[in-house]
Amino acid sequence: MFSLLRRRLSIYGAIMALIPKQFMQYSAWFWAEMIGQVLAMVIVGSFWRAVYASSTTVGGLTADSTIRYILLAQLVAPLVRWGMILEMGGLVSQGGVAIELTRPIDMQARMFAQGLAASLTNLIFKSGPLALFGWLFLGLTFPTDPLTWGAFLISWLLGFAALFCFDWIIACVVFYTTEAWGLHILREGVAAFLSGALIPLAMMPSLLQKVAAVVPFGQALYVPVGLLSGLIPLSGAPKAWLIQIAWIVVLLPLSRFVFSRAVRAVTVQGG
Amino acid sequence: MSAISVQNLTKVYRIADKEPGLKGSLKALVRPQFKEKVAVDNLSFQIEPGEIVGYIGVNGAGKSTTIKMLTGILEPSGGKVSVMGRDPHRQRVANAREIGVVFGQRTQLWWDLALIESLNLIAKIYEIEPALYKQRLHEFTETLELGELLRQPIRSMSLGQKMRAELAATLIHDPKVVYLDEPTIGLDVVVKERIRAFIKERNRIAGTTVILTTHDLGDIEELCQRVIMIDAGQKIYDGPLAAIKERFGKYRTITLETAHAAPAGLALPEGVFIEGQEESKLVLRFDRTLTTASQVAAAVMAQAEVIDFNLAEPDLESIVKQIYSGALSTATPEVGSVV
Repeated sequence: MFSLLRRRLSIYGAIMALIPKQFMQYSAWFWAEMIGQVLAMVIVGSFWRAVYASSTTVGGLTADSTIRYILLAQLVAPLVRWGMILEMGGLVSQGGVAIELTRPIDMQARMFAQGLAASLTNLIFKSGPLALFGWLFLGLTFPTDPLTWGAFLISWLLGFAALFCFDWIIACVVFYTTEAWGLHILREGVAAFLSGALIPLAMMPSLLQKVAAVVPFGQALYVPVGLLSGLIPLSGAPKAWLIQIAWIVVLLPLSRFVFSRAVRAVTVQGG
Repeated sequence: MSAISVQNLTKVYRIADKEPGLKGSLKALVRPQFKEKVAVDNLSFQIEPGEIVGYIGVNGAGKSTTIKMLTGILEPSGGKVSVMGRDPHRQRVANAREIGVVFGQRTQLWWDLALIESLNLIAKIYEIEPALYKQRLHEFTETLELGELLRQPIRSMSLGQKMRAELAATLIHDPKVVYLDEPTIGLDVVVKERIRAFIKERNRIAGTTVILTTHDLGDIEELCQRVIMIDAGQKIYDGPLAAIKERFGKYRTITLETAHAAPAGLALPEGVFIEGQEESKLVLRFDRTLTTASQVAAAVMAQAEVIDFNLAEPDLESIVKQIYSGALSTATPEVGSVV
């Protein structure tokens, strides 16, 4: 049992190790994304400063805590975004799924390992420099308590896993429709609002907050960023983790079941 | 135990049946219509370990669908498949460990990375002993001439280089069964030769069972002792390649070079036809059940001064054309097993 786990970890570790190498291949893409991110941070920061120009609190939150939250959310958002629906769509429409299904490894575990490695790569190469930019030019401050960082990391990993399983279920729809673009746009649009990337979920009308609570987007962004920014107190961390674990307990078996059904519908386009 | 056993295998696709134009698209959106297409129809065959079998048929005959069911990608609609004693669809991951697949137009290699990175990862995935991996990598590098390619990213490779890389990746874990779907498509003669030599070598050294789908009859002639031919999802021939040549190579061509133009109204034995005649060149086609090459040559020599002549071997391409166009239905079933 232990040796099996070690063998598996060694395989998925090797897959993960390829991701940073792949990442380095596209420097133009990297810089384009960095510029986009910097602009987004400046614009979002300015927008919220303008909102707070006429009042000291909005939705019970002060200017400082909101802006801090929003800037941190901008840093963390790329760590929970992987375009899985489009990737699955590409695999199904161009027949690459045939190759995936003839590998002696679990496709879902493979994509999870790659997604996690891509996020860790982004954390180092994108979020790091962007955090420095935020600190130098936008007045962004970071918590000094290591416990807060620990709580954030645990919550980010749990949220990542929950959202991964959710996205996997949505991506399986591609096996039936063989068309991914519309689904991807819908997912990204909904996620932008309900993850708390643009507005702290606490500020949303109660109806939208209820909707946000039944989809896992917030689990992957609002909860970890809330802990990091102080919007969710450290004492609330264990409860937040339990909720995230509950999401995983429900979504993981469901996602595996959905995939096992969807894979029967595979037709493999193009001969 | 057979390496592959296929019994009454059937695959029916459900495909959208859409009327043309905008109206058709809207109609399909509201009430989609489907029709069924039988891609593989009640197919049965056995393949023994170590065989190299050519699996041929025209486009759309059902070759790729069969391969996808054998590899476990597609679930059969009916019938049974067993590969090394396993159901490839139900035991897909376990089956994947024992097989290797090349899909001619798709790559299993990581596009942006150097070939060696992909091979190292594949060695990890298939848990190849490091010493064994090193040895095989060395052998493959020699036979497939991978030397300089190892450090090159796949996206910068030519088609021939990519296919050599692909074959190395497919066979590095020493699979028991290999499916090669059009491995030489679009390649030049030199690369084709190298690839065929490599496949032969792996079959000889490791006893690898090979199923080869191809439109290139050179591949078949060079590699396969046995041919399975399918048309419209059904098996139409299963037997030795030699027998098929023997049986359908009824006609042969003899080309004679003469000192002067051959006289008009040349008297020829029964079953001989003039296929082409130029000033000093005469191309004759003859039915070898009615006459022999020496009789044909002697007849021409008696009437014209022959400088040189050449007898062409039965051409597999024309044989296959005959079979595809329905010659089997009129043939006698004494060779192979004609269904």
